[in-house]
Amino acid sequence: MKLLEAWRYSRLPYKEVVYKSIAEEKGRMWWGGFGRGQLGADAQNDYELTKKALRIAKWDKSLVAIFNVLAAIIPFTAQFFGSPILGLTSAISLSLAVTFGFMALYAIQTLSSFVSAESSSLLSTLPLEQRDFSLITLFSFIRSVDYIVVGAILTQVALVAYITASPLVVLVMLVASVMNAVLAVAVALWFSRLFTKNLSRGGRSKGTTVLRLVFILMWGSLLMGVSLLISLPWYIVSSLETTLLSPNQFSNILFCLLHPFSAGLTIANLSSFVTAGSTALIAAVSMVGYVIVTLFAVKWTLKTVKRISTGGDVKLSRVTAKDFSIKTRSPLFGFVLKDLKIASRNPATAFFFALPVLETVIVSFTIANFEVLRASTVLVSTFMGAIFVLLMPLALLGAEGTGLEYTKTLPLDINRIITSKTLISTLTYLPVPIVLLVMALLKPLSSPLLVLIPFFVMLAIASASIFEIQLFLSSVTKGKISALIHDLKKLVIGVTTLLIPLVGYSTVYLASFSHFFAVLSMAWVSVLELVLAFYLLRRNKKIV
Amino acid sequence: MSSPLIEAFELTKQFGSVQALTGLNFKVFPGEIYGLLGPNGAGKTTTIKAIIGLVDPTSGWVKVQGCDPTKNSVKVKSKIGYVAEKPILYESLSARDFLEFVASIRKIDQASVNRVVTQLGDAFDMAEYFDAPIATLSTGMKQKVALISSFVHQPPVLLLDEPLSGLDAKTSRIVKDLLLLHTQKGGAVLFSTHIMEVAESICTRIGIIYEGKIVAEGTLDQLKTKTGNKSETLEEVFLKLTNEEHEVADKTRLLGEAFFKDEVA
Repeated sequence: MKLLEAWRYSRLPYKEVVYKSIAEEKGRMWWGGFGRGQLGADAQNDYELTKKALRIAKWDKSLVAIFNVLAAIIPFTAQFFGSPILGLTSAISLSLAVTFGFMALYAIQTLSSFVSAESSSLLSTLPLEQRDFSLITLFSFIRSVDYIVVGAILTQVALVAYITASPLVVLVMLVASVMNAVLAVAVALWFSRLFTKNLSRGGRSKGTTVLRLVFILMWGSLLMGVSLLISLPWYIVSSLETTLLSPNQFSNILFCLLHPFSAGLTIANLSSFVTAGSTALIAAVSMVGYVIVTLFAVKWTLKTVKRISTGGDVKLSRVTAKDFSIKTRSPLFGFVLKDLKIASRNPATAFFFALPVLETVIVSFTIANFEVLRASTVLVSTFMGAIFVLLMPLALLGAEGTGLEYTKTLPLDINRIITSKTLISTLTYLPVPIVLLVMALLKPLSSPLLVLIPFFVMLAIASASIFEIQLFLSSVTKGKISALIHDLKKLVIGVTTLLIPLVGYSTVYLASFSHFFAVLSMAWVSVLELVLAFYLLRRNKKIV
Repeated sequence: MSSPLIEAFELTKQFGSVQALTGLNFKVFPGEIYGLLGPNGAGKTTTIKAIIGLVDPTSGWVKVQGCDPTKNSVKVKSKIGYVAEKPILYESLSARDFLEFVASIRKIDQASVNRVVTQLGDAFDMAEYFDAPIATLSTGMKQKVALISSFVHQPPVLLLDEPLSGLDAKTSRIVKDLLLLHTQKGGAVLFSTHIMEVAESICTRIGIIYEGKIVAEGTLDQLKTKTGNKSETLEEVFLKLTNEEHEVADKTRLLGEAFFKDEVA
C-alpha cells in the first residue's frame, strides 16, 4: 500500500478515536439535548451526534493548534523590543517548554481514547497486510496531533530563522522542535497507557484503592504543573534569562542538562556565544543525548502503536468478587459518589482532583511574602484560589458522557444533579479558608474578620456553579461560534458571581474604612446570590 | 378485567420530517408479556422511550399505572425497569459501583437490593466481572449489568428493548424464566424484539408495529386467525401482516440470480 493511500485510509480509525474522546469524555452533545422539551430531531439522531462530535473535535484541535502557535510565539516577542540576542536562550527554551506542555496535554486527552478505543478493530476484520494495517494505525495516531505539532515546529523554526538568519541555527532549531514534539507525544502516550492500565485493573481491595488514589493525585499534580508552566513563561522570561546565563552556578549546570533548556542554550550559543565555553559544551552534549533519547522514543512509540493496533497492549486481569454486596446511600450522596468516581477515572477530568493542592499552593505562595495580612492580600489570594474552581462544574458535566443516557431513565430530579456537582465544586475550595486560618495564626491580620472572607467566597462559588450549570443546560448550541460564545458566557457569569462579593467588600471598605461593614456587606451579597441561585433551582421545571 | 399497567392512546411522534409513530394504541395488563414486534425503524424504541418519558409525544398520550410521563416523569420512572437496546452505562464504573449508584438513586433499602443483586449476580455468573470496569466487559456482560439494574427495585413494569441480544443461551433462558415469574406476581413486561422465535416462545400477546402503527394485535393464535392459516409460524404471520411477504420473495430471487446464477443454472 502506498503511503498516501494509507494516509487516506487512516481517516477512519482516527475519526473513531476523536469520536470516542469527545463522546465519552466530554459528553457535551448529550447534555446539549438535556431536558425533553429541547430534544430536537437531530439531538436524537445518532448520525447527527456523530457529525457533531467530529465537528467539535476538529474545532477543538484547530483551537489548540492556534493557541499552541501563539504559545510558541509569545516567549520570542521580547526579541522585538531589545537586542536581537537578549532573551534568545530563554525564549527558545520557554517556547519549547510551553509547546511541550500544550502538545502533551492535548495528546493525553486524545490518546487515552486511542489506547482504549480499539480504534482499529474495524480495520482488523479487513484483508490487510500486517504492514499496511500498522501503517494505517500509525497514521491515525499521527492525525491526532498533526496540526498542533506541525504548527509549533514551523512557528519556532520560522522565528529563529527571522531572528538569527543562520542556516545552521535554523537546522538545529528544527531538530530541537521535532525532538520536543516527539517527546511530548511519547510522554502523552506513555501516560495514557499508564492511566488506562491502572484504571482498567478493577478490584476493590484497600491496596488497589489506595494505589489508584495515589495515581490520580500524581496525575492531577502533574497535569496541573504542566498547565501552570503554560501560564508562567510570560512573567519569568527576563529572570530566567539571567539564571540561564549566570556563570558558575549549580542551577546553570542543571539547566544545561535539562530539556528544553539544553536546546535553548545550544541554539543561542550557536547564534552568538552567550555563555562560557564549558556551559555551551555541556548543553550541546546534553542536547545530543536528548536526540538519542528521542530516537528511542520514536522506536518505542512505533512499537506501542503497533501493539495497540493489534490489541496486544490490552492485558486484563480479573479479580473474582467475594460477594455481591451493595451499599446504598442517600440519592444525593449516591450521585456525588458516582460523580467523584467517574471524574477520577477519566483522564480529562482526573486532574481536577489536584485542585485543592493547587489552591493551597497558590494561596500559600501569594500570602507568604507579606508581613501583615491585609484585606487586599486576602481578597486577591482567595479570588485566585477560587477562579480554578469555576472550571469544575463544567468538567463534571462533561465527565457524565454517554452514561447520562442511563441517568435519564432514573427517577431523578434535575436539581439533584445540579446540587451534586455544585457540592463537589464548592468543597474543592475548602482548603483555601483552612490555609488562611493557619496563616492567620502565623501572621498578624489587619482585622480578625478577614478570615471570614474565604467562607463567603465559598457561598459565591456555590452560586456561580449553579448559574454555570443552569446556563449549560439551558440551551442547545449549534455551530462553532455559538458554542464558543456559550462557553465564554458560562465563565463570564461564573467570574462575575465570584467578583461581586469581593467588589462589594472593597467598595464598602473604601467608603467606610470599616472591616466590619465591609465583611457584613460581603456576607449580604454572597447570601443574596445564593438565594437567587436557589430560587432559580426551585423554578427549574426541567426533568432529566 | 384489571386496569392496564401501560396504556398508549393515539400516540404520535414526529422527528422533523420523519413520522416515527402514527396514532399508536395498545394496552398491557398485569400478568402479561406484551411483545412489540416490528422491523428495524418501525418505531419500537420510540414507543418505549415515550413510555419512560425520554421522548414527548407530538400528540396522544401514554400512561404507566395511570401516570402520565409528560406530567410526572419521576413517578413513572420509579415504576419502570428499563433495558435499552444498546447497554449504555457508566463505563468507567464497575458493576458494583454502578448498581450502588442505581440503588441509591432509587432509594432501595440495603437488605432488599442485596438480596436481588446476590441472586441475579449468582444466576448470571457475574462474580469474576463484578468489580471490573464496565468498559472492559463484553456486550453480553454489559447487558447482564443492565438487566440487574432494571430489576433492583422490583418494578411493576419492565420495558425491555431487545434484552436478549448478546446473551448466551443459559442466561437467555434464565431471563425468560425470570420474566415469567415477574408476570406471575402481577407485573407486566413490554418486550421489544424483531426475533420471532423469542416473541413466539414467551409473549402472551403480540403487537405488530409497522411504520409507526400497530397493524395487528393479539395472541399468536389470534394473529394466525387473521392471516387465515393456523399452521403458519410467527415469522410468516408477521411478513403477511406487514405486507413484506412478496417483497422478501422478490428480493431473495434477485439475490439468488446475482450471486448464485451459475450454480442455479
